[in-house]
Amino acid sequence: MIDDLVPCILKMNSIKLPLGVLSEEVNFACEAKIWKEMEERLRHTAPSEACVFVLTRPSRGNSRTTIILREIIWPRAGEVIATPHCLEISADYISRALDAAVDAGELTGIVLVHTHPDTEYGKGVGVFSYRDNWYETRLFPTITLQRPKAISGSIVIGNEPHDVDARIWWDNGGGLGTQPAQVIRIVGPEVTFLETPHSVWSDHPDPEVMDRSTRLWGKEGRRKLQNIRVGIVGVGGTGSITLFSLATMGVGKIRTWDKDIIKKENLHRMLGATKNMIGKLKVEALAPVIRAIATADPFEFEPIPTWGTTVEGLNGLKDCDVVFCCVDRLAPRVPLDRFAYAHLIPIIDIASWVHPSNRIIDAIMTHAHVLSPGIPCAWCKQTLTSLRLMREAQGNQQGIENRAPYGIPLEQIDGVEPSVLALNLAGVGLALLEFMQVALKVTDRTPRDLKLFLPEWELDESDLDSLTDCQTENDTGLGDTVRINPVY
Amino acid sequence: MAVPDPLLAGISELSEESGHRFEITDNPVEGTDLYVVYVESHPFPASYTVASGVLGFRVPRNFPDACPEDAFFIQPHTVKLREPDTVRQSIDIHRASSNGDFLKGTKLGGEPALVFSWHIWNKVIWNRNRHTLVDHYTHCLRRFDSPEHD
Repeated sequence: MIDDLVPCILKMNSIKLPLGVLSEEVNFACEAKIWKEMEERLRHTAPSEACVFVLTRPSRGNSRTTIILREIIWPRAGEVIATPHCLEISADYISRALDAAVDAGELTGIVLVHTHPDTEYGKGVGVFSYRDNWYETRLFPTITLQRPKAISGSIVIGNEPHDVDARIWWDNGGGLGTQPAQVIRIVGPEVTFLETPHSVWSDHPDPEVMDRSTRLWGKEGRRKLQNIRVGIVGVGGTGSITLFSLATMGVGKIRTWDKDIIKKENLHRMLGATKNMIGKLKVEALAPVIRAIATADPFEFEPIPTWGTTVEGLNGLKDCDVVFCCVDRLAPRVPLDRFAYAHLIPIIDIASWVHPSNRIIDAIMTHAHVLSPGIPCAWCKQTLTSLRLMREAQGNQQGIENRAPYGIPLEQIDGVEPSVLALNLAGVGLALLEFMQVALKVTDRTPRDLKLFLPEWELDESDLDSLTDCQTENDTGLGDTVRINPVY
Repeated sequence: MAVPDPLLAGISELSEESGHRFEITDNPVEGTDLYVVYVESHPFPASYTVASGVLGFRVPRNFPDACPEDAFFIQPHTVKLREPDTVRQSIDIHRASSNGDFLKGTKLGGEPALVFSWHIWNKVIWNRNRHTLVDHYTHCLRRFDSPEHD
């Protein structure tokens, strides 16, 4: 018997994977509740291995391809035979998964997730075995056949929760290609990052620099901040404060979008802006200062002089792990809200609003919203409403439909609201607390949003739940298959 | 900047459903992000001094996320009632006034618009996933059928 196995094992050891490069970085992402359901049920069969097919959608950015796990297709009785050493997957199960993927659209791929539990022979490790390689080089030609737009893949889960390996498989036109993934992101109200053996994350070379922060979020937290990529859409009143804060607190990769130039009227509330910068692009003018103050090492800063909600901007956002929305209008919040859920990239939305009356504040509000799976979207929380968007579109004719029919002249407004550094600082402060929670989970619960009200001097959190027919949340995890209308 | 696709699709559906050839201005009204959706020759109620003319409304660039404005207009702006309204004793159309800025900067802006208040979306809230320009137009037309002094 053993003699029979020897040639087979030797054959497996000699398997050469058809390695290729689809993009610079490869990630997997999964909504937290889906990952939890999948992982719990798969682990339940230990010490036998277990497996499941999951339908996926791609989220392809400029430098990163993310494969989003979505619909779990559980095997029926008899479709998988599992032992502590191997799995036997029936043709019926493969065929059923393939049919489901074809029905879901040409971008829909299939990921095979399986476990390596501890057995009496040793510890289960989250690394692909020779047998896995051997099996997958036979499975994926079938799965990727004539489906060039679909990216498939496989994940192996070891006995420890964070012990995983992952890779993608795709039809590269001339044959099969495979590329290791570096990170799996589990996204709910918070993001958990699982590094694979191919992760390129690095530690800060001089941890003493970050000592006081590390005392709160630990070495793991420091490592996350050093390696995740944070996007900032808009670097004006709130965006510049966010940018300076993130660079100071040790975020290692920051990408910013803003097409605006610095004007003299920006100086009183835009951190880092000087008189010499007037007339220069905001993102480019701030770049040298940001690079000088950054505490992460290495530090990567990408200033992009375009709006973050254009087609190009939205593509670049797909490379980020968390995004700050620091725009001053409602309209760009529509695509960003949809983006956060479709691509599983949490967005922290900051806005301030002041209503002065004879220089006395009679209403003031600054808010920081978390937009991420498991938390109601901006429509459900009524930050976005069709009426408010219409009012914004009325520009300098706001309320005309209520006045013009009665011959009442329009109030003269120029559409520019007050903006005050102190209020912006408060909003960014709330947003940074939320960022610490989303990225580092420093408390048990992520707030839906935080709002500071004056003249009440109250901090409030929305109690609005998700609507049952919320399209944004229904499209969670659908990645590039969701059409998002850009805003210029 | 080109008119967004969802707006063009909405106009195409409206033309098909209404039997009128609706058009859209090339650019938004000056100082706003509102395009004008209109039909050149639309029948008016028999009680008006003019049998037909332009009928339209303003729609935000980011339709259907943003709802159409809760109003509509007709041209010429000089349209009156043939007979005085029995309640108000006036030939002015009730809750409608001429406005020179409503279509400013668009191809229709050379002449003022007679802007109607109608509170179209007060009782039913615009649902961006369900309502269409056909719903908006249908609501507008109800104004013509309602009692003049309403």
